[in-house]
Amino acid sequence: MRTEKTIMRVFAVVAILIVVYACVEPDELAETNFNEWLSGGSQTIFDNGARAFSSPFPSLTAARAIVHGIGDGAFEQTFVTAPSLINPGLGPVYNNVSCTSCHINDGRGKPPAGNEQLSSLLIRLSIPGTDDHGGPNPVPGFGGQLQPRGVYGILAEASVKITYNEQSYQFTDGDAYSLRFPTYTFENPYMPLPPDVMYSPRIAPPVFGLGLLEAIDESDILANADPNDNNADGISGKPNYAWNEVEGRKTLGRFGWKAANPSILQQSASAYSEDIGITNFVFPRESAFGQGQYDGKNKTIEVSDSILTSVAFYIRSLAVPARRNADNAIVQAGKQLFVDGKCSACHVPRFRTKTDVAFPEISNQIIFPYTDLLVHDMGTNLADNRPDFDANGQEWRTSPLWGIGLTRIVNGHQNFLHDGRARTLLEAIMWHGGEAEESKEFVRNLSKTDRDAIIKFLESL
Amino acid sequence: MKATYIKFLLTSVAVLVFTACDDNNEGGSAVNTTLNSDIINDFSNNLPVVVYGELFTKTSLLYDQVGALNDGATDAELAAARTTWKEARKAWEHSEAFLFGPVSTKSIDPRIDTWPVNFTDLDAQLASTNAFSADYIDGLDDALKGFHPIEYLIFGKDGNKAAADLTPRQKEYLTALALNLKTLTEDLKSFWDKSVTTSYYHDFTNAGAGSTVYETQKSAFEEMVNAMMGICDEVGNGKIMEPYEAKDPELEESPFSQNSFVDFKNNITGVQDVYLGKYTTDGKGLEDLVKAYNLQLDNEIKAKLSAAINSFDAFTVPFGQAITTESVKIQNTIDACNALHNTLEQSLLPFVQQHSK
Repeated sequence: MRTEKTIMRVFAVVAILIVVYACVEPDELAETNFNEWLSGGSQTIFDNGARAFSSPFPSLTAARAIVHGIGDGAFEQTFVTAPSLINPGLGPVYNNVSCTSCHINDGRGKPPAGNEQLSSLLIRLSIPGTDDHGGPNPVPGFGGQLQPRGVYGILAEASVKITYNEQSYQFTDGDAYSLRFPTYTFENPYMPLPPDVMYSPRIAPPVFGLGLLEAIDESDILANADPNDNNADGISGKPNYAWNEVEGRKTLGRFGWKAANPSILQQSASAYSEDIGITNFVFPRESAFGQGQYDGKNKTIEVSDSILTSVAFYIRSLAVPARRNADNAIVQAGKQLFVDGKCSACHVPRFRTKTDVAFPEISNQIIFPYTDLLVHDMGTNLADNRPDFDANGQEWRTSPLWGIGLTRIVNGHQNFLHDGRARTLLEAIMWHGGEAEESKEFVRNLSKTDRDAIIKFLESL
Repeated sequence: MKATYIKFLLTSVAVLVFTACDDNNEGGSAVNTTLNSDIINDFSNNLPVVVYGELFTKTSLLYDQVGALNDGATDAELAAARTTWKEARKAWEHSEAFLFGPVSTKSIDPRIDTWPVNFTDLDAQLASTNAFSADYIDGLDDALKGFHPIEYLIFGKDGNKAAADLTPRQKEYLTALALNLKTLTEDLKSFWDKSVTTSYYHDFTNAGAGSTVYETQKSAFEEMVNAMMGICDEVGNGKIMEPYEAKDPELEESPFSQNSFVDFKNNITGVQDVYLGKYTTDGKGLEDLVKAYNLQLDNEIKAKLSAAINSFDAFTVPFGQAITTESVKIQNTIDACNALHNTLEQSLLPFVQQHSK
């Protein structure tokens, strides 16, 4: 009887193992222990339509889902001129009226076409020198950002005109391509801009997946930094330490085009303040403080602490869309080219997020953001020549590439880079310079088939 | 004894292996690309083409009517404009069941339908001597144009404005706003114009057949169902829930025309239209796909659609009052919208994903 029981037990275990393993689908990416389809780890969603960037984490607790929902509602609220029973406090000068009017569908903005006004593109301003915290030195009368709109009766700071100059180039195989060089003109400034003003145009970036980027351990980011290029690969990579308003000290910057913003909370708070003119506990002073447009009236906090933290949480808990066609042969060939061309040296494919016991949803996830969150010299053609904390006038943060293939369906355009000058993914590649010069030349030398493969790979992200 | 055991156990393992791996369920994953193509085509031709067409017709009429409100305008003429506003609103609210594509990516939605209105700046505009040219209006903030400032001007704060109360400046502003609305809805119509080969109509109808936006028919189906879910969520948890929870009628959309319940009902009716492939003309809809494989799901979706649509008929007072005096009915509508949303999300979405590629 004892042996029969043992046989029975052994069989039971073996049977379970066989049953379980017989159902495991063969993994197309079997050489790895992770699933490249799941760009956001377990916080990946399967939606490749217009709302691909707008879903909450699939495994949020019910309580957190409610906070996410409150933040979602607040993200869409339109602010109006005070006094008003609903959403007062717009301006007095501002860039836009709500979060969503720049981050349409939680996605990417684009430069204005024709005579359109600036909407999802803003201009940062400074003069030489630094402020008290080592950041950009604000322009007297304008501050650190140009607000091209004012509420009724208030002077806008200036309007912006963008013109483009096309330049033609050739790939090595003789195929032509063209890049458009933007020129920015400030028209009708309400007072003269100083002659040494520096400006930096910035497109509203997508806001999904940022919670996972915030959850990457600082040491994992610094592990890729090589500011003096000690390994002599031509690629440095520098952390940008920026002023953390909440902590009152400089901390590692992760967000924004120059990684000059250390947290999602601060990013959201500064957008409320600078972009909409809505004061909050992080930035309690009107953006127009000290300027003629400031009326001294808006002394209260215009967005409550709970709404601000809900909006920050909303952004923190937006899921990442899954990849499409990751097993397609052309996509895989493109991925190999992406690695061969050393694109992946800065657009680092994979990170594991740290453990945060207070927020298990973002903890210990294998994610595929394709960024190192460091700043790199991108050459003179892309330079804004405006330092931002430790990032100099030629340095930009490596942009995350996850979800980039869904830009067309979510935002209806293909404008990339910090000011949206690139009109296709291929143009965006061909704008790379500086530390990425070699990678760009690699792509320039590719055949049409291989160029298409690398684009197909990017579109699968 | 042992041999019997072993045989029995081996057999059980084999049975388990085969059954555990049999993920071919009763319906299979049959994909009828011809039917799917018909559904996408009929949706496009029967919904966006017709609804945006109607929207443009009504906003054009509204522009003509408010433009004709001269010094001797009668209350009947103003009432006619109000009726047209409501008719335009009907088309727009139906279209919110398919709020994807250019209406969203080209920011037409916020320019047409932003709430709240910026009354402080609106009053200042009316008191000014600014010329309300088309370009000037186009450059104004979203909270100063579109349906709701027009609503405020033609209905008045309490919904009982007399034609004689319209000031000359209000008429000027109103006419300029109506022109702006007409222009934007003309854009919407043109995005779905099938005679223009580069229009979004072709991006959508060529799904899975060369479209650069919709590489597969499945992605077009997902777009449709996600949009249906989106408006259920928006109505239940946004438009109704927010004023209800805050007990604040100021948060209500369309308060001046007291048109909110009609708006909500048109939103959910729009969801039904997309499901059926029918606004005025009937065609192939998602309904036909569901009916072919899962009658029970079809019945469930239709029952939940009816429950949600009918829930708005129970009220005896306008929405702004009902949020305080008819709480049970309000909660009913929220629950009905959420129930519909959940069926769409948990049953219809996986169903269309299974039956398309």
